[in-house]
Amino acid sequence: MKKIEIGHGSGGRLTRELIERLFLKYLRSEELKPLEDAAYINLRDQNIAITTDSYVVRPLFFPGGNIGKLAICGTVNDLLVSGAMPGYLAIGFILEEGFPLDSLEDILKSIKETAQYAGVSIVTGDTKVVEKYKCDGVYINTTGVGEVIKPLPVSNVSPGDAVIITGTVGDHGMAVALSRDEFDIKAAVESDCAALNELLMPIMEIDGLKWMRDPTRGGVATALADLSESTGFGIEIFEDKVPVREDVRFISDMLGYDPLYLANEGKAILIASRESADRIVAILKKHPLGHNAEVIGNISAKFRKVKLRTKIGGERLLDMLEEDMLPRIC
Amino acid sequence: MEKIKDIIKLIHSLVPENRRIRIMNVCGSHEHTIAFSGMRSLMPNNLEIIPGPGCPVCVCPESDIINAINLSRKDDVILVTYGDMLRVPTQKGSIRAEGKNFRMITSPFEAMNIAKSNPDKKTVFFSIGFETTTAPTAAILEMGIPENLFILSSHRLTPTIMEILVKDAEIGIDGFIAPGHVSAIVGSNAWNVFSEKYGIPTVVAGFEAENLLFGIMEILQQLKNGNVQTGNVYKGVVRPEGNVQAQKIMAKFFEAADVNWRGIGHIPGSGLELRAKYADKDARKVFRLEEIKEAKIPGCICGTIILGKAYPSACKLFKKACTPKTPKGPCMVSMEGACNIWYKA
Ligand code: SF4
Repeated sequence: MKKIEIGHGSGGRLTRELIERLFLKYLRSEELKPLEDAAYINLRDQNIAITTDSYVVRPLFFPGGNIGKLAICGTVNDLLVSGAMPGYLAIGFILEEGFPLDSLEDILKSIKETAQYAGVSIVTGDTKVVEKYKCDGVYINTTGVGEVIKPLPVSNVSPGDAVIITGTVGDHGMAVALSRDEFDIKAAVESDCAALNELLMPIMEIDGLKWMRDPTRGGVATALADLSESTGFGIEIFEDKVPVREDVRFISDMLGYDPLYLANEGKAILIASRESADRIVAILKKHPLGHNAEVIGNISAKFRKVKLRTKIGGERLLDMLEEDMLPRIC
Repeated sequence: MEKIKDIIKLIHSLVPENRRIRIMNVCGSHEHTIAFSGMRSLMPNNLEIIPGPGCPVCVCPESDIINAINLSRKDDVILVTYGDMLRVPTQKGSIRAEGKNFRMITSPFEAMNIAKSNPDKKTVFFSIGFETTTAPTAAILEMGIPENLFILSSHRLTPTIMEILVKDAEIGIDGFIAPGHVSAIVGSNAWNVFSEKYGIPTVVAGFEAENLLFGIMEILQQLKNGNVQTGNVYKGVVRPEGNVQAQKIMAKFFEAADVNWRGIGHIPGSGLELRAKYADKDARKVFRLEEIKEAKIPGCICGTIILGKAYPSACKLFKKACTPKTPKGPCMVSMEGACNIWYKA
């Protein structure tokens, strides 16, 4: 009998297979089919984007955030990278019997603050409690809707386009990994968990912007491998252009991780026309969340898959991993 | 960057067109840099850089791990060892899955502390690794370890296994990149045997891609001009004589022993055990541990990979049934294992 494996939740190859072979088999629809971060729907001639996401991060509290903040940022960012202005959220909680109310209150405080910052209203919710040991403290689901400002279908992407990253990669993955007890490493790495409204809204006015994605689970590498697969184009990334925090790089080397595969919760990958790329980066750099923005590569029709051009000029394939090194990162 | 381009150009010009050159690295960190920098994609087609026995976790005998599991199941024992060892699969499962009282440590000093704070228990330190981890274990012995701390030594000697590889014509090694950290202890002179006895250039290198490229260049230069000797492009760290003090205390407590290498077999004089004088500290003797026959892992070719006779991609299970989360063999568990590195790179 085939069973769900932890890798089915990685956001990588196994997740894609599960969705394509099972979920789409029963739930296929025009809106769902593109498998983007949010779906475009039309309600009485209003273009709306809708998205949903569940949060199961372990531990619930980590440097730079907690599951509540994450549940707002993640869904808000999914709308933003789909070219929509986040408007309303629905939120559902699954709580474990025995979970301390104080901790729940801390989570709710961050939810409130983050929602305020992101300019979204939480308009409906649900709470379920399951018996002790039937879930791990708290799981949260959020569904968000927003008004489409600029539809960004993946079909916009064409050869010659530039790949932009809005900041350092791997911070969230590293912060959560280190906050688990498995490693005996003390470092001040904080999650980058943040709502990206202020950073991304000004960019949406720029013509050359074609597509966006927030590289969460599986990191930048997995998001790009996904993009390459759905467009059929190759992507070349230059290692020396990819911003990585010094400590994240150091600990990654030590633990054998690759920051390109570590999750981010406050970054976006932007695909933009070559001509507009520098302008976009200049605008991003003006905001604190976009300080380290950089053009890191380009789209090409000459090859397939994602190639990393290393610092010494070598070539390495950035493949979708079969499974995540760090499950339950968001 | 310009400098790196020049070195690569030189490497291309140094490789003879009409023959295949095989350079082996014997260090997980070297393999990590080589794989992650895409170095192989920059090399001439007939120059192979092969990963060799750079992973002590991978070659640690199954028998020792099963013994460690059994020790941890005794109520009065705490088994302590390095993190990777906890997850290595055996026919009886892993320490983490099947063991009972075990703790992960990152240095032998932690083993001392655990023993001291648990005076009513026997702490067994399952001490594995090449010369780099033998030295600190010898250091705590020299300091004097608590009565209730015992050593299960599964240490291995790098030069000895390298010599076995050289003699194996099937592998056909033309040059060695010698491991930086091990060399810091044993000294670059420890590799002289390869140039003097076998005519194989051996160059000590550090862990940056550029430094490794330098090492490869020097090996090729030596092969070309026939002036074969031990080279060292990691001079800031490695001295010809090595760390004499560390060598002294290692020799004081340990002696060479005939031991098994997992997936490879019995190799005379290639391991280290505690000298008879320290039998009261030797977990093998104190707990009367017996050798357990190794079971082959179906499909796993770790042993062949460690010997440089195959790349991880040649294993049918690689990236399929065998991943870092579901490792079938030891080479997928350890960060220094070639399969684990190739999976991630
Ligand atoms: S991929 Fe797994 S099964 Fe194959 S050789 Fe490596 S460790 Fe063994």
